[in-house]
Amino acid sequence: MAPLQRRAFYGLLIGFIWIVAIIVVFILKGGVSAFNEDQGFRLTIDGLWIGGLIAYLILFETILGKPGHVDERDKLILDKAPRFQWLAVIFSLVAWVIALSESYHDAGQVPVVFLYLIFMSVLIVSMIGQAIGILIGYRRMR
Amino acid sequence: MPKAEISNHIRRLRFDRGEMTQEELANRVGCTRQTIIAVEAGKYVPSLSLAFRIARVFGVPVEEVFQYEE
Repeated sequence: MAPLQRRAFYGLLIGFIWIVAIIVVFILKGGVSAFNEDQGFRLTIDGLWIGGLIAYLILFETILGKPGHVDERDKLILDKAPRFQWLAVIFSLVAWVIALSESYHDAGQVPVVFLYLIFMSVLIVSMIGQAIGILIGYRRMR
Repeated sequence: MPKAEISNHIRRLRFDRGEMTQEELANRVGCTRQTIIAVEAGKYVPSLSLAFRIARVFGVPVEEVFQYEE
């Protein structure tokens, strides 16, 4: 397994653990209404979010900065990964739009808290999408 | 445009040079072993720069390592 491929695999693993941890904390703490009112809950989610982001950046930046660990083929795969990444982001945005439109259609307005949740989820989906894009690239070139 | 294939003799050249390992070749040309495996198997066509570096390690012209077939 190439170093970048290994990192992408770990990135995918971290991404899934990260997203599951956020969803579990979110459900256990009381969902959207509690998130809107409880500052401690918001800070917990912020911690999980920023912690995961830092772990993810360390995972990739430590290898991308090292000469000899990523060669021309790895860079080609890395350059093609955004194709899948953007697809994942667009699908997640479409899912949010449909879900929120259907849920809050009668109310005529969507709670502001969803702006935060949409941004957070799209960022996580983007990172997981990048890892999957890299792994698909290696699989296609195997 | 006719379909072109790039084949190579890296495997034979490695064995002709005292059974040079893929790892050793990768270290000498500055890429990963996985890239050498992919090039050898014809799954990845290397850049001109990498192709020349591979040929230089074997001490042969680049066309002796890679062949272009239509």
